[in-house]
Amino acid sequence: MTKFEPKIIAFLCNWCAYRGADLAGTSRFHYPPNVRAIRLMCSGSLDPVYVLKALLDGADGVLIGGCHLGNCHYQDGNYKAMRRVEVLKNVLRQVGIDEERVWLRWIDASEGGLFSQTIQQMVDELRAKGPNPMRKPWQVWQETIGCQPPGIEAKPKKEKVA
Amino acid sequence: MKTEKDILGASRDFLTKLLTQGLVDYLLVPLEISHGRTLAQTLVSNPAHLDKANPFSPLLPVSSASIVSQLTIDHPGKKLGAVMKPCEIRALIELVKLGQASLENVTIIGTDCLGTYEVEDYAKLIDKMKGVVGKKGAKVLDDMRQSIAEPDAKPLPISLRPACRMCNSFTPLLADITLGLFGMQDGVFFSLESKLTEKLGLEIKEATDRQSAIDRLLVSRTKAREQVFAEFRGKMETIVDFADCLNTCIMCYACSSACPLCYCRVCFFRTDTFEPESERYYRWADREGALRMPTEILLYHLTRLNHVAISCCGCGMCESACPRNIPLTTIFQTVGDGLQKALNYVPGRSLEEEIPLATIPEVKV
Repeated sequence: MTKFEPKIIAFLCNWCAYRGADLAGTSRFHYPPNVRAIRLMCSGSLDPVYVLKALLDGADGVLIGGCHLGNCHYQDGNYKAMRRVEVLKNVLRQVGIDEERVWLRWIDASEGGLFSQTIQQMVDELRAKGPNPMRKPWQVWQETIGCQPPGIEAKPKKEKVA
Repeated sequence: MKTEKDILGASRDFLTKLLTQGLVDYLLVPLEISHGRTLAQTLVSNPAHLDKANPFSPLLPVSSASIVSQLTIDHPGKKLGAVMKPCEIRALIELVKLGQASLENVTIIGTDCLGTYEVEDYAKLIDKMKGVVGKKGAKVLDDMRQSIAEPDAKPLPISLRPACRMCNSFTPLLADITLGLFGMQDGVFFSLESKLTEKLGLEIKEATDRQSAIDRLLVSRTKAREQVFAEFRGKMETIVDFADCLNTCIMCYACSSACPLCYCRVCFFRTDTFEPESERYYRWADREGALRMPTEILLYHLTRLNHVAISCCGCGMCESACPRNIPLTTIFQTVGDGLQKALNYVPGRSLEEEIPLATIPEVKV
């Protein structure tokens, strides 16, 4: 069996985290190649739907990288990102999805080192967690007991597949 | 203030006065249609039509919040009186905060809510009833009132909508005028500015046991509500449990169309944002050897939770619209409750209190 390697989707702000990633590259800071970066103009422009899409399509982790508070290129975009992620994590927690797969981090354009450290740390933690169950959506649907039409008794016991 | 007439008669007189005395030019109010077998929200300009009005309609075919949004979004300058249930007012307040409706020239006439029935159940109930066609609606209301007022009364012939069974906010909060029923033996309780009372030539009396009647109902509803929450929360351990609730979804988007707070003109689930070229489905199928179609059920509902749960007012329009009877009220109310408590936000509580997503959290830099 091949070793589990987490896949991370990173949504990075053009003005800071994305440049931080660039700087990590030009400064030859090493970090694991598990991350796929998507450049955004602002972390505040990220609708939760895209984070969810990544998670539900089997990404093991999602990193949202924005500017430090007070440094947003658009005044307060990162505060908005903060609120959205707060809501997103709360909802995920309530419906049985591991909220710790979503990371929101502030990484400056000058912080190449921090970027590489963040990725390394995230990969380590995700390795420990193991794969996202949504890597196998078909199996998830298989395991459901299923809503029954009214009047028909649902199957009494659900067997958890290990 | 009390009146001695029967509920519907008194409230129809009151609404007629609002129109004829020019306090409002138009009234949005449920009117009986189809020979009383159902009710529909109606925009009335001629008071003659109010003989079929039932402000306490036990039906909620469409949320009036959506209708008021439609009627006020471009600031038409008309004096509109909107007869609304508490959940509809809450949703309207949220829509105003989201810039989707305006309260300019709008008089909110809030009603105490006895609960609502599914539209099809109500029609069947009316068909079964004996008596004069025009009086059946009033009889249904009387039965509902009694079942609330007297704990030992015989249960209602049909059950309330799931959202209403767990509703603990059944009196209007931010209404300009309140039409009350709780704690009234007969007649209606009006609460309005004293200036208005004079203008309409109404006599002032006190409503005595309103609060105790409200408190009694609150206890039983809160219990039902907590039970629904506990059951749902006890179940949600993994994504499988959540998927289980949504197993039979057919992605018809009826819930989002019915939801007063899902206001986007074009939802990205109805664009091709998540509809890639067909080739990709085959590739996804190859990963596991099988791919559930339609594919985005979980994404759709989770996104809707993220977008509206913070403002969810518990009207339950989503579940009533669902052709598959998915327990959407339970899902949205429970998750909404958790989220609202975490962010210390109560939807529809105040116009000034901003929706948390629109505020900048206080964080020390």
